[in-house]
Amino acid sequence: MTATRTPEAAAGPVVPPPPGPAARRFGPALRWLGPVARRAGSGLAVLWAAATAAYGALRLAPGDTVDILIGEGADTPGIRAQIIREWGLDRPEIVQYLGYLGRLLHGDLGRSYQLQRGVGDILATQVGPTVRLTLAAAATGVLLALAVALGTAGRARRLRRAASAAELVSVSVPPFVIGILLLTVFSFTLGWFPVSGAGDPTALVLPALALGLPIAGVLGQVLREGLERALEQPFALTARSRGLTERALVARHALRHALLPAVTLVGWFTGVLLGGAVIIEALFGRPGLGQVTMLAVTGKDMPVVMAVVILSAVVYVAVSTLLDLAYRLIDPRLRSVR
Amino acid sequence: MKLTRSGLSLILLIALTACGSSEGTSGEVSGKASGGGSLTWAIETQPITFNPQLWAQNKARLLVFNQFDALVARGADGGFVPWLAKSWKISADRLTYTFELRDDVTFHDGTRFDAAAAKANLDQFLVPGYNPAVAAIQLHAFDRAEVVSPTTLKITLNEPDGLFLDFLSSPLGGQVSPKSLKSAKDLKAGGADVVGTGPFILDRYVQGQEVHYRRNPAYHWAPEGAAHQGPAYLSEVTYRFLSEAAVRVGALTSGQVQVIEGVPATEVALVKADPGLTFQSALNSGTSFSYYFNASRPPFDDERVRRAFREAVDLDTVLASVYRGTATRAWSVVARTSPFYDPSLEKTYGGDAAKANALLDAAGWTTRDAEGYRVKDGKRLTARTVASAPFVRDRRDILAQAIQAQVKQTAGIDFQVKIVDQGTAQKALDDNEYEVFENSRGDSDVGAALNLILPEGAAINRTRFHDPETEKLLARASASSDTAERKKLYGQVQRAVVSDHAIVFPIYVPADQIAARATVQGLGFDPVAGTPRSAYDVRVGT
Repeated sequence: MTATRTPEAAAGPVVPPPPGPAARRFGPALRWLGPVARRAGSGLAVLWAAATAAYGALRLAPGDTVDILIGEGADTPGIRAQIIREWGLDRPEIVQYLGYLGRLLHGDLGRSYQLQRGVGDILATQVGPTVRLTLAAAATGVLLALAVALGTAGRARRLRRAASAAELVSVSVPPFVIGILLLTVFSFTLGWFPVSGAGDPTALVLPALALGLPIAGVLGQVLREGLERALEQPFALTARSRGLTERALVARHALRHALLPAVTLVGWFTGVLLGGAVIIEALFGRPGLGQVTMLAVTGKDMPVVMAVVILSAVVYVAVSTLLDLAYRLIDPRLRSVR
Repeated sequence: MKLTRSGLSLILLIALTACGSSEGTSGEVSGKASGGGSLTWAIETQPITFNPQLWAQNKARLLVFNQFDALVARGADGGFVPWLAKSWKISADRLTYTFELRDDVTFHDGTRFDAAAAKANLDQFLVPGYNPAVAAIQLHAFDRAEVVSPTTLKITLNEPDGLFLDFLSSPLGGQVSPKSLKSAKDLKAGGADVVGTGPFILDRYVQGQEVHYRRNPAYHWAPEGAAHQGPAYLSEVTYRFLSEAAVRVGALTSGQVQVIEGVPATEVALVKADPGLTFQSALNSGTSFSYYFNASRPPFDDERVRRAFREAVDLDTVLASVYRGTATRAWSVVARTSPFYDPSLEKTYGGDAAKANALLDAAGWTTRDAEGYRVKDGKRLTARTVASAPFVRDRRDILAQAIQAQVKQTAGIDFQVKIVDQGTAQKALDDNEYEVFENSRGDSDVGAALNLILPEGAAINRTRFHDPETEKLLARASASSDTAERKKLYGQVQRAVVSDHAIVFPIYVPADQIAARATVQGLGFDPVAGTPRSAYDVRVGT
């Protein structure tokens, strides 16, 4: 889940090749569609690779599937045979693998060994809460980072130092500890927010904060540095000499420059969010993919683990495709390539 | 500081709203004792299944009898009392059980409970792949069930089985509606569509968050000797899954939940010091948490080394430091809650460092290496314990580390603690790559656990040790239903494995704890299992 990529690799700016005659005819529409189609193609390849890698890794992991399914129960040849038949484990490895891919294409994710339910059913109920949590955390992180960066960039040294220290702390303290601290203060002592409860929107505040703070830390640092660098550029001087206020300069020009490296980080923080959700969901007693994944990995519940891996791959591919598009929005140089 | 009139009224308004909203959640709690009330109970472990017939987690036992009833129950004295069966007769050869069933019981889906339903429940275990372990162990003697009349069920066994009534009274004996058995979408997972006859109806399950039950208003078939008859006091109860102990305690002290189970030793003092809270705990049934020595490979194939390990640990000191005086030391593999516990084993071994060293010297582990560990034939005196992370609870990892430090210091034993994933643990056990196996079991009748642990080739015989004498005793005890005779036989078994062969190092008796707001009454523990009881008798006073 926490696959780390270097920011550059996550979503390097894609420079499109010179467009063919069709592109010239359809103009702007194709300029957007081309990269998307290419992205979708490579996305499918990534998905296949992720599914296969997950399958292989779990096959190689120690522990026989039949043993796992038997657990501490009685172990007789008769029982083994029943389990092998029930889960189709007697077929050759390649048949099992192809069967798995085939079912996957039909959208059939299989049945959980542990929970004895369809994996699709399990995920269907757990995706929503995780999406809500990660989106809320991402929004929290981005807003906090923007607020701190805009408030401190180019300001007094002491202010910048303080912000920088706060960012460092939020990045280095594990989310588990941040979560416990937030709970102790805002839930157990002040009673402002409940520990858990999905129906109650206020229950989302603390987990989103705990998960979003590390992102705010890194993003804030990157944004501030970007802003400060941009404000030293000749164009900033030009803008100032045109009589632009400092605020307008930051908002209209400098921020756009600062956003480029920040956007590159989105790929990284998708991983942080998905990985952090495992801890935060368990801590706050929230439903979600994190808890399901933890249970599945420790219990070697192959169908669930593989479904989660594939889902994460889908998210990564989608995020990096969107990032490429975002670059084109932010950086006009990419749009004007002919 | 001066407050303007409008400011003051604003604050009052906020305060009132706050009271109002907190009453919205806890106001239902303080409902009339008979009329209603609701309760939120934070529990540590999320059940893997809600189907009682596939139940396997002792920590989830407290949920089962909200939704389900069994044919017989355990009374306060541990004996069997009528529940869905009004009475029963056991034939002289102890092969035929004839149950007279209640005729006024209905499942939550409206289906009538009768002999055919009870038979369908037993026959369900014979469906291949449903629960092969129970079919092979608990029901090994089961031959057939016959419907004599709608209220008479006759069960025939192949051989006498002293544990058969215990099985029927356990969660595995929970009666599921035949309609659910036939048509539930996910029968093995259980849930809202796998229904029973219990005092509560499961109506909402949010995986990872909570399970919600509402009262079954028709319920009037509580087991004989229950604290009350008729429907449950609470109109609804929510069990919230909070796996983190500190979060459970925080949720309780801040009033967000009214009851929690699983209070770690580090939090007990805090809870006890709060006058608004109550605390109770009970020892579990089954086997003690014990280290089982793998007697099939060095170094523990030598009985002297097994004894030396036990002598090398000053267990009282270790338990006091790890559990802050809340743990109960075990002296036998059988938990002291069992009627078969043999107290004569107490203080017969352990904590003698000089003896440990003498035993190891005698066993040939005479030289020491640079790190101070004992060595024989160039091999270090090493013992590995391999535990599966999902099953490590009660700070057993910390406990193992404390023991590790002790055996190194007092006797030069290299005790290695490996906490791994389930697959790796299973592989180590299958490959015989371990020296110590740690385990406790919560079976209500300890005989069931001993049958899994001690005989040759039994499912969790991790000592790989077998003794024909012990096996004979176990078989006789299993077939008997005479408590005095079984006590004598199990006493002999305990002395054999603990004293004579020293294949086990009993450590502590697992316990369950409940902490609650002082207004919550009727909480308690199952008299036999020692796990928290269902919510049937629970009510919220004022």
